[in-house]
Formats: sequence, structure tokens, C-alpha cells
Amino acid sequence: MSRRLRKPRQIMSHEFELDLAPLLAVMVKLVPVLLVSSAFMQVMIVETDLPQAVKEAIAQNNDKPKTTVQLEINKKSGIKVIVAKDGSQKVDQIAMKSESEYDLSGLHKFLQHVKAENPEVFRIEFAPDANVPYKDIVKIMDEVRRSRDKDVRFPMRNQNAGQSADQKDRAPASTDYMFPDVIFANMMDG
Amino acid sequence: MGYGRRRYSSKSHSSSTFGLNITSMTDMFTILLVFLLQSYSTSQVEINPVTGVSLPKSSTESNPVEGVRVSLSANELKIGERTIASLKEAQFNGADVDPNDSNFILPLFNELDKMSKENAAKDIAKGDKKKPEIEEGRILLQADQNLNYAVIRKVMYTASMAGFPKLKLATVVGD
Repeated sequence: MSRRLRKPRQIMSHEFELDLAPLLAVMVKLVPVLLVSSAFMQVMIVETDLPQAVKEAIAQNNDKPKTTVQLEINKKSGIKVIVAKDGSQKVDQIAMKSESEYDLSGLHKFLQHVKAENPEVFRIEFAPDANVPYKDIVKIMDEVRRSRDKDVRFPMRNQNAGQSADQKDRAPASTDYMFPDVIFANMMDG
Repeated sequence: MGYGRRRYSSKSHSSSTFGLNITSMTDMFTILLVFLLQSYSTSQVEINPVTGVSLPKSSTESNPVEGVRVSLSANELKIGERTIASLKEAQFNGADVDPNDSNFILPLFNELDKMSKENAAKDIAKGDKKKPEIEEGRILLQADQNLNYAVIRKVMYTASMAGFPKLKLATVVGD
């Protein structure tokens, strides 16, 4: 009898009851709402603006970029990186890692160099062979779009010519995007 | 009989109220809630997966935008829910391809052309709304990841010929 009396007093002094009922009520309502509305497969997009045949012709006449970077993707020999700068071409081959695996990290490293040398270029042209699977193209796009290393960043040139003095004093803005503007160069070829 | 049983069970409880241990349930709910909130997508556009299309994985972070939904699986080419052309062994049928241009898919061009013409014919003064995605020529392409570039290129080529130059490739979040 004495034990029975002592026990409740202990609980009163050391613990307190947290009223979980409102919390539970909120959760019980929120969980079904989220379960119903949640998409278990999150779909995202990769933007590749196709150059319209005419549009491209006009753009090429007006402001032809001095430097172009092109990737030729071949299932057997790997990825060929062609950097054309002021009329001269530099071709580098990124060989396959194995029979069916592209050397993506090698490509990434190489493109970091290319981007560091040409920070003004944001466009990259893809020219995959006909038998290259779509998923490989998307994988390579992922490598190309932005730098994965946090410490590798590229300066951004200010587009506005008439910038104020205090803007000039500031450190140049930098970005981890390498070549976010992917276009398919060989799409219009026959 | 039933009455008797109930009396018996109520007798077994020492008091009329009893404490339900909800700690474990709260636990579970908290975890579930955090998981659902984390995977909750904030994008306005809802994209339903198309049967027969397994989208490629990508690390892109841009949310989907509205566009003409073209899906390409190993068996068929669809705009929205409508089948436009069928494929055999991941190749277009000869009848669907323009004889003078092997990259030109006639039914797709006709369909897209019709859509853009209908959209252009809409009169804003009459209260019709023009669809911005058709006006700007946006295509949301959901293509199977195992298809070859050759067949996807045909779709891209035809779409850009039909005045839809802005291509968005749908991908799923993954590593």
C-alpha cells in the first residue's frame, strides 16, 4: 500500500506529461495530404534550345562567337573535344574508360581547363553519333553543365560596358556553371 | 452473450480511461512527415510518367515548365495522350518518314503544325486564350533512356522544323 502511494508522487516531481494530441492531430492530417499530392518520381528538365535553321543562320552572321566548343561523341572511340578559337582548332580525344563507359571524370577535368581558358563561352555543341544511347547523352550533359568541384569557379565577365566605378573595384562575379547552353550541332545535318 | 462478454472486458480495466501509448506512432509520423516534406516538389507543372518510357537520370535542378508534351518510347510517339506514330524496334515506320528527308516525321510535323496554326488563329478579342507554350514553341520531350540518338534526333529535327525550337528534355532526379 505504501509503495502504491509513493510511485505517483515520483512521476509528478520528475516528469511531466507533454500533450501530444494536437501535434498528432496536425500530423494525421498533414501526412495524408502530402502522401496524396507528392510525386514519387520527381521530373526535372534539361533545357536545350534547338537552333531553328533560319534563326541559326542569322545568328551566325550577326555575332559569330570567336570560340566554339564541340563534343563529338562516339560509342567506340569516346568523346572528341574540339575547341575552335580564332580560326585555329584544337582537337583532344577523351578515350573510353572501358568498353561501354565514357571517361566522364576525365571529360569533366578537361572541360574545366577549357572553361578556365575561355570563361566567356557558355555554349557547347554536341554532335553525338546516331547509335549513342540517349541516357549517355544526358549523362554527358550533366558533366558539362556545371563544375562539380566546389573550389573550381570561373570568373564572369560583366556584359555592361558602362559600369560604375565601385562595381569595378569589387571582386569579379564567379560562377560554377561551365557550359549550361547545350545545343545539338548535328541535328540539322542530313 | 455479447453483453456478457463486454461486461467482462470492462471489468478487467481498472478505470474507465486507459493510456494509449502513442509515442511510437508519433515517431513514425514525424519521420514520414519529414520525408514527404523533403520530397515535396514545388513546381507548378505536373508531369505524369508515360508508360513504356523510363526517363534518364540527371542532376539538373530546373523545374519543369509547360510545353507541348511529346513522349517517345520504343513503341510509339505520342503528343499528350494521343499516339501519333508507332515505332518498330525503335525505328520509325517507312510510311511515317518523308521519302526525301529521312529525319522528317510527317505525322508529327502535321500535328504540331496544326496545333500552332490553331493557336495562331485564336482571337484574343473574342476571349480565346493563346497558349504561350505553343506560341513560344516549347516542347517537353519525354524520351526513353535506351533509345539511340538517331531516333531522338528525328523528333527534335521535325519539331524545330514545325516551329518548336525550344526543347526541354524531361529527366528524373537521381545520381
